[in-house]
Amino acid sequence: MINNIEDEIREMVSKILEVPVEELAPGVDFFKDLNVDSLKAIEIVAAFEKKYRIIVPEDDIPKIRNLGQLIEYTKNITS
Amino acid sequence: MIWDQEKIKAVLPHRYPFLFLDEVIEIEGTQRIVAVKYIGEDEDYFKGHFPGNPIMPGVLITEAMAQSSIILYSVAKPDIAARHPDYYLGKIKSEFFSPVYPGDKLFIETTKVKFSDYAGIADAVTMVNNKIVAKANIVFSVKDNE
Repeated sequence: MINNIEDEIREMVSKILEVPVEELAPGVDFFKDLNVDSLKAIEIVAAFEKKYRIIVPEDDIPKIRNLGQLIEYTKNITS
Repeated sequence: MIWDQEKIKAVLPHRYPFLFLDEVIEIEGTQRIVAVKYIGEDEDYFKGHFPGNPIMPGVLITEAMAQSSIILYSVAKPDIAARHPDYYLGKIKSEFFSPVYPGDKLFIETTKVKFSDYAGIADAVTMVNNKIVAKANIVFSVKDNE
């Protein structure tokens, strides 16, 4: 189940950022390494909210800087 | 009418001939607004789009929906809007269903998807005579102009 969530999130982010899934290692920094800007960041958050039917508080957005943190965040709110 | 064009102009930097909202007629909290644009019989762009067969260009309907998204953003984020930031269109996914003709009245219903201090996503639906003529999902960024 956990792997499924990880795969789902990786695939979702890969689609939005147009980066191959294999390049999305858990520690790759969205902002520094993948040049994610405010537009891409809000797209990821909106897609994430839609998929998991949750609201991500605005203050949490800058705290999620890589895939590992996003997966961890998802596990916490969906558990 | 809730907002007249003067109030719209206090938020949007756009001016004639590129201001595509005349009024805001509904505001539902920070989630949804309905704006109106009256399409004149003699709008300049009808001269070329197309001679003898005037149809409002889809890109201008899209622009009206983008402007409406900024108005909704300003309602949700009044402190940021008060600083008169620059709004940049980032991405649009739009569909068009029917032509818009001279004399039509556009009702643009815009709903918040997600707003942050730096960007926004909104869904907009444009109707004429209760019929959907266009839809768009709009992603934009918001930057302070130093």
